[in-house]
Amino acid sequence: MRVDPNVKQRVESLIVDSAMYIDRDELDAWIDCFEPDARYIVLPRENRLLDLPVGIIHCENRARLEDRIVCLRHANKYNPHFDRHIVSLPRILAVAGGVASVETNFMVVQTDKTGESRLFCAGVYEDRIRLDGDDAKFVERIAVIDTFTVPTLMATPV
Amino acid sequence: MNRGEPTWERNDYSKVPYRLYHDPEIYRLEQERVFRGPAWTVLGLEAEIPRPGDYRIAFAGDLPIVFNRGNDGRINAFVNRCAHRGAEIVREPYGNVKDFTCIYHSWCYSPGGDLIGVPFMRGVKGKGGMPADFRMQDNGLRKLRVESFNGLIFGTFRDDTEPLEQYLGALLVENVGEILGRPIRLLGYQRQRIHANWKMYLENVRDAYHASLLHEFNRTFGLSRLTQTSGGYMDDRHRHAMLFQYKGSDSEEAARKTYTDGQVQRGDYMTLKDESLVAAIRENRTGVSTRIISIFPNAVVHQIANCLGLRRVRTRGPGELEIEFVLFGYQDDDAAMTAHRIYQANMVGPAGLISMEDGEALERVQRATSPDPSGAGIIEMGGKGPLLNLDTRVNEIPVRGFWSYYSELMGLEPDGAQR
Repeated sequence: MRVDPNVKQRVESLIVDSAMYIDRDELDAWIDCFEPDARYIVLPRENRLLDLPVGIIHCENRARLEDRIVCLRHANKYNPHFDRHIVSLPRILAVAGGVASVETNFMVVQTDKTGESRLFCAGVYEDRIRLDGDDAKFVERIAVIDTFTVPTLMATPV
Repeated sequence: MNRGEPTWERNDYSKVPYRLYHDPEIYRLEQERVFRGPAWTVLGLEAEIPRPGDYRIAFAGDLPIVFNRGNDGRINAFVNRCAHRGAEIVREPYGNVKDFTCIYHSWCYSPGGDLIGVPFMRGVKGKGGMPADFRMQDNGLRKLRVESFNGLIFGTFRDDTEPLEQYLGALLVENVGEILGRPIRLLGYQRQRIHANWKMYLENVRDAYHASLLHEFNRTFGLSRLTQTSGGYMDDRHRHAMLFQYKGSDSEEAARKTYTDGQVQRGDYMTLKDESLVAAIRENRTGVSTRIISIFPNAVVHQIANCLGLRRVRTRGPGELEIEFVLFGYQDDDAAMTAHRIYQANMVGPAGLISMEDGEALERVQRATSPDPSGAGIIEMGGKGPLLNLDTRVNEIPVRGFWSYYSELMGLEPDGAQR
């Protein structure tokens, strides 16, 4: 479909910025990419195929996402690592009512503290993005992961 | 393993030789004596194969098993290996079929595992074909004996494995029976692959001591604290175990003081914006809020607040295991309860707020013990000697129970072994 270049630019910025915030461990900035009522779900592809609702991470609103990040910062212990998100160009499927529906492929390469890198996760972001003035924020992000047998653990969101 | 020295330094299993996690010969023997031995391996839930023709792949150790519901409604299980040349027959992890046909030479099997079709068995135009003495009825798949307890399906390769309910014992019959006592509804799968020996995970789920130390989330939100009414119980043979907890049976202040005095509290407790993550809506007779029920050799049934699930463990060589979490609720749950259970599934699985740490802890043990597997770990919390049920989680005795039954099956029991 033909997309207004301005919409395209705002969608691309949100997707690239949000990925970079995770890689830079700026999770507060990452959370600011979401509307208060936004859902964030990491969904195994097998559950999508079976029409089953459980996610690896499943937050129905931003407050719940904030709770997960607080736990990550203060309670959880996990494998020390760096993340590197590689995202494709977004494919804008529709824009209606100020909300863009977008699909973007992604890979996350994880590097441990000895400098060894491995592909951690491959999948597709299924996003609904609210466009408001110059602003763009997620109202829904479902990261459908092909790599649903998760190596070791998933602490940082993808 | 028998290289002139006994495996066990003590007859109560309170010192575990690291070699048991790493020796490839031990791993090979485990597949034969534990997973194909006189034990019941958990295959799955009847709810995973509700319709005739439904099948799913499970694992007995590292051996792929197809369990399915036949057209007559009966549950069957067989090894996923064609009788002809040994090819994998089923290639999708789950599905629905009328019969099972190998892609290699199209040999066809019934859901029960009987050979029902061999293309060109009598040759073509009078030439070729199988010899006259080849009988299809002698060439079926390798079948498992299958039994089901409240919808939980077990399989065994042996005719002499004891009756299932006797194998489970009263503790599991009561508690697994209660959790699976109503028709369930599947909510989804989570999978985690950990680079550690499979037994470390089966120890971990019997280790009452680590729950509030490694998993700070448990301690912080009062899901599991050593100050609560809690304990670790086993069946009479001590092969299975149940760790349990009553949320709300201690006070925040007492808990904080205990952990601060114990030098494990790192600062103030945090708070959640949405407390429903840790809210236990009472739905059982006693009000128990956490039950981690280990079923020897390969499974766990858990209740953590209102998060219910089965965990299947697959072995992948001495240094790798896979956990498959199967989350469920009940068919008569209303929409709010279903949503609550889906939310509480955040606590388990590879990103679980009280389970992700296990992946990290087990890999640390694997890495540190593998380069020089001499030496032994200490399992003395809760005391040495007899295998006892204790009403406390400052307790690792169920881990010794695991080793006791494991050693019996493996033929590794020391003289005067505790059972």
